[in-house]
Amino acid sequence: MECFSLLRSDVPALINHLGKYGELIAPHKKGDVSYSFEVVHDSNEVVLDYNRTLLPLKKMFLPPVEKLMDFSLKELSYDKVEVAITPRVFFGVHSYEMQSILRLDHSMLSGSAESNYFRRRQSSRFVGISFTPDEFHFSESVGILIEEMEGFDLFLNEVDGDFQLYVLSDHGQEMLDGFEKMAITEPEVVEGRVFKKKIRYHFNRLPRVFQYAYHSPVWAEVASRCVGCGACTLTCPTCFCFDVQDEVTVTAEDGLRQRSWDSCMLSTFAEVAGGENFREKTINRTRHRLFRKFKYITDEEGLPWCVGCGRCTAFCPAGISLPDIVNELIQEDEKAQYHRSARV
Amino acid sequence: MKPKIAFFDFTSCEGCQLNKLNFENDLLDILKHVDIVEFREAMDDKADHYDIAFIEGSITSPSCVERIHDIRRRSDVLVALGACAVNGGINAMKNLHPIDEVRETVYGDDKYLFATLPAMAVSAVVKVDHEVRGCPMTQQDFLKLLLALVLGKQPPKYDSPVCLECKLKENECLYNRGMVCLGPITRGGCDAVCPSFGQFCTGCRGILDNPNIDGMLEVLTTHGISLDEAKKRMLLFNSNEVQL
Repeated sequence: MECFSLLRSDVPALINHLGKYGELIAPHKKGDVSYSFEVVHDSNEVVLDYNRTLLPLKKMFLPPVEKLMDFSLKELSYDKVEVAITPRVFFGVHSYEMQSILRLDHSMLSGSAESNYFRRRQSSRFVGISFTPDEFHFSESVGILIEEMEGFDLFLNEVDGDFQLYVLSDHGQEMLDGFEKMAITEPEVVEGRVFKKKIRYHFNRLPRVFQYAYHSPVWAEVASRCVGCGACTLTCPTCFCFDVQDEVTVTAEDGLRQRSWDSCMLSTFAEVAGGENFREKTINRTRHRLFRKFKYITDEEGLPWCVGCGRCTAFCPAGISLPDIVNELIQEDEKAQYHRSARV
Repeated sequence: MKPKIAFFDFTSCEGCQLNKLNFENDLLDILKHVDIVEFREAMDDKADHYDIAFIEGSITSPSCVERIHDIRRRSDVLVALGACAVNGGINAMKNLHPIDEVRETVYGDDKYLFATLPAMAVSAVVKVDHEVRGCPMTQQDFLKLLLALVLGKQPPKYDSPVCLECKLKENECLYNRGMVCLGPITRGGCDAVCPSFGQFCTGCRGILDNPNIDGMLEVLTTHGISLDEAKKRMLLFNSNEVQL
């Protein structure tokens, strides 16, 4: 692994250089106070300091709305949409975002691989960047540090306003070929980037908390505040549920099949034929969401399926905080343990 | 045989009906599937029987009740079009006041000449088979329902909030911009058209089933509007649906 020093003022030149490798996608300002991953047209518009984008990077691999096929009712035929494999470079990606893509890989590619996801994921390269945690980030609590470099080809670590560029893979090396503006340097450890939001326990103690959390009184309290809009799951980088629908054009001769993101927080998500609903009440759904992040997949894979980006909290109109829920569960669990041991 | 369809208006601005005449690009395609046999805003003809009757407006007087029963008897399928027909819409705001007071305010000394009822959804009086929500209903929504009926398919049902479609478009959340919005509890299907252009959702498509009304009032008031104002916003299109 090599490490170079790079001036902040030279970053646009680096971005232009990376653009030769493939289609470049990076964070841009969107609206008044928000950010979004967009295709780069002008390297000066790329934002280097941002807290989080509205939608996670998964939108580039599993688009919010995606056409799967066209069909003809007249000829009873269909054409599947083929996703082209093109080189893409994702620039300015935070460590938790990269970790979410690695978790999505597990969800979409293990067993029978989801072909559209697979084709988009192939020949995608990632250039990471460090960030300053705001009041919502808590990725350290789920085991993801700011400088976690797994999955990246290149990584920019901010040191005193300028950057240190780590080359982490052969692809990373290849992408830098011909870029001259850097000198080799010693990697530095940056101090002082502190997470303000924390889960009280180490993440490897959480499976035990969730083992006893099913009947916790915390869920009812959360459900009383939740309005069920689904913003938490739609902005979650590791949620992947979708719905598939067919639409017929006005001539009634042809149509298309498309899929779009769905959310388990919506009341009809678990409704089946006959009107039965397996998670009818908000309390069932708020619990399910947390169990999807800290229990069901975690029991199989040994990792929290939450990456601590803070989106579900930052974009919740009711201000419901996921780390706060976990901390309340921990507190309830401690109380229950106290009573259990007092009986002995 | 093409299905015979007809349009009728009750208490409303007739905007939903008029909206259908704006289909310039699709109108000829629609007419391949159906025959329009009665449509006051576009033609003079009358018919005895309708395969599909589209009803706009709320039911607000004894004569309305009589007329809607008559239409229902002569229709195979009856569709409520737009917020007024589906749940009473903004007309139902009058139901929040004593009916005599409303009558006096509107008609003054002549109030005894005009019989009136609380503003009701069409479904409060006769059986409604399908609905197209919104104020006004959108052309796309109407077309989808019409096509589904013509093709014998189950019409699309919108039971997810405006927030869903707003997030899919990656709009900046209006709450993050310091506004309040009814998107979290309002029925979607509108492609989040208002929030996409910076206008907060006013709830014209109705409230979702089993809403958390107390939670929503809490959201609205913590984002800076008074409880009174919050209730007024929720009631604007949904006086008949929300109990506050």
